[in-house]
Amino acid sequence: MPKQINVALIGNPNTGKTSVFNALTGLNQKVGNYPGITVEKKEGVCKLPRGVKAHIIDLPGTYSLNASSLDESVVIELLLNKNDKDYPDVAVVITDVENLKRNLLIYTQIKDLEIPTILVINMSDRMAYKGISLDIEKLEAQLDTKIALISTRKKQGVDNLKDLISNYQNLSIEPCLSTQDIDIDYFKGLKKAFPNQSLYKLWLVITQDVNFGKISRNTIKDTSSFKTKKDSDLKRLQQKETIKRYQFINNVLKEGQTIDLKTAKDLRIKLDRILTHKVWGYLIFGIILLTIFQAIYDWSSVPMDFIDNAFASLSDWTKNTLPAGAFTNLLAEGIISGLGGIVIFIPQIAFLFLFIAVLEESGYMSRVVFLMDRIMRRFGLSGKSVVPLISGTACAIPAIMATRNIESWKERLITILVTPFTTCSARLPVYLIIISLVIPEGRFFGLSYQALTLMLLYLIGFGAAVGSAWILNKILKIKSRKFFVVEMPNYKLPLFKNVALTVLEKTKSFIFGAGKIILAISIVLWFLASYGPGTEFNNAEEIVTEQYASNNLSQIELEQKIASHKLEHSFIGIAGHAIEPAIRPLGYDWKIGIAIVSSFAAREVFVGTLATIYSVGSDQEATIKNRMAAEVNPILGGPLFNLASGISLLLFYAFAMQCMSTLAIVKRETNSWKWPILQLTIMTAIAYIVAFIAYQFLK
Amino acid sequence: MNGIIQNIFVFSSLTIAVVFLVRKFVWTPKKKTAKTCGINDCRCH
Repeated sequence: MPKQINVALIGNPNTGKTSVFNALTGLNQKVGNYPGITVEKKEGVCKLPRGVKAHIIDLPGTYSLNASSLDESVVIELLLNKNDKDYPDVAVVITDVENLKRNLLIYTQIKDLEIPTILVINMSDRMAYKGISLDIEKLEAQLDTKIALISTRKKQGVDNLKDLISNYQNLSIEPCLSTQDIDIDYFKGLKKAFPNQSLYKLWLVITQDVNFGKISRNTIKDTSSFKTKKDSDLKRLQQKETIKRYQFINNVLKEGQTIDLKTAKDLRIKLDRILTHKVWGYLIFGIILLTIFQAIYDWSSVPMDFIDNAFASLSDWTKNTLPAGAFTNLLAEGIISGLGGIVIFIPQIAFLFLFIAVLEESGYMSRVVFLMDRIMRRFGLSGKSVVPLISGTACAIPAIMATRNIESWKERLITILVTPFTTCSARLPVYLIIISLVIPEGRFFGLSYQALTLMLLYLIGFGAAVGSAWILNKILKIKSRKFFVVEMPNYKLPLFKNVALTVLEKTKSFIFGAGKIILAISIVLWFLASYGPGTEFNNAEEIVTEQYASNNLSQIELEQKIASHKLEHSFIGIAGHAIEPAIRPLGYDWKIGIAIVSSFAAREVFVGTLATIYSVGSDQEATIKNRMAAEVNPILGGPLFNLASGISLLLFYAFAMQCMSTLAIVKRETNSWKWPILQLTIMTAIAYIVAFIAYQFLK
Repeated sequence: MNGIIQNIFVFSSLTIAVVFLVRKFVWTPKKKTAKTCGINDCRCH
């Protein structure tokens, strides 16, 4: 037996596949993308008995091997390609004890690919609630495999699953369904033309247009000894295949499963009645959202203050301890300040992801999808658009990828175009710092003004998304079929391990993904702010000393004047002054202008940039917030960050596209530059106009 | 001497940062794209 084997976890969505993956791998897992595409790839390592290691891949959830989306095609491509380094030695099909009939369809298909397959029946702890009893021996005999009855919630059956995986070589690879049952003549012809190939694999090549080995759909079409059928005939045969499979599954379950509805105790219907009610449903959803935003503020203030002070002290310590010079300044004023500007937001981002993970894990998110479909339809969106719009509060990139399960192309395109309006976590640092500077700390019915402002910004983002969807629905002339199918999983208490891993993973990817960019931009910005051309920069000390010779300034005051003069004539100062005329009507100075331009790489860079710019030349230990609060408007006097400029900035970020990566993903998902460019232009124009009106009105 | 070393570090850091940003946003090596996703037109081809 090899020392390492590949194990693929496959199954329908909502069968607890990720819970099984987490139970097998623990923290030994990593998340990436499949090469060249933006489908998430989760893999991990699990130690099996007898010193064997299993390389576990958690494949995207799929209902069958009849792919209708890119996510599903990933599963098929892997299962057909024996040369793929991840090709499974054994497939583990995860099913939910309550939905065995539907979940077994993909099991029968994978078994027919002649891959050793283990069946996992998950959520066994719910059998008593539902009056379900299973005869595992009979099921094993009928399905010709080994079954692991497990409950990841109660931590039962995982060791048995590990044993079964390590003994995978004893599993039968006999198919469940004979291809002859689909169409005798057709498959006889196929067998004759390709005598050494698996008929079911060939069938998938023909119907799914995927390749295996050197055989493609065109190869089969071009084979003179075999005549394939028209697409409509192939569809009919696919339907026949599905019916045959369900007949097989029905027979299996008749023998091995009994459901006693009298003993079933189910809260689900009662809960659904309330949570999807046309009044209570929306009210409860609103209260949940309000609680989340209040918690984000209240719970994270202590760790945030700690991080802010820690970075200010670290910057100060670096400057006082290391030998004086350019690199020490780069470390203290550029790198530490820039990173401090992002690390400070870890607590709030972690809390946001925590709440999203809990809502998803509990099964409530599907009710929100159902509930919102009634509203979404009126705006040309689908109920399924809610998932991208809510995921967009984390990041627009996975959110746009999550549109792939929207069946109608028009609804999908509209969702892609409007999702960047929703408030992503990268906007959060910008909002939080500006809100803390310009919104007072008082409370209204126990809710802080700051939390209410944050919630209002989220609602503005959501409203902008829905409003622009309505307009796009009227403008875009795209014909497509509209239908809505959503699966309502059972309510569950979220598993701590799953929630913790999601929070850890998402926060890590936010910090490290954005952190590298922020680090690099901080270095470049520090350089541009610390060096400059011409005599004004190089002779700053002489010029300023001469200018203030008669003012009797203290040494510290004089040094600050020199630093300020240098900054103004540095490379960044010159660039900032060049763009200032365009942003002055919005209430911003050149420093904010630079922060806005640099934040096009990623919005959260805005705070890091200001932290870097304001740190340059500053000898005082001060937090980012204090430095920003101390900034004076060069023209009007008074604080630069006041209510007018603050609201203007908040609204600018609420509407502006400001994210290169989102543009790239929109291009990839729409397969055209037309849509991302249109999106960027329109969103920037709206952001500019709204910020302009807000500033002119409030100043 | 200290000044020269510090400047070398600064310019090395700057070069690394610029190269990283260029590779991230301007020039990225081309990757193989996915082929298909079935006979239903889901617009990902």
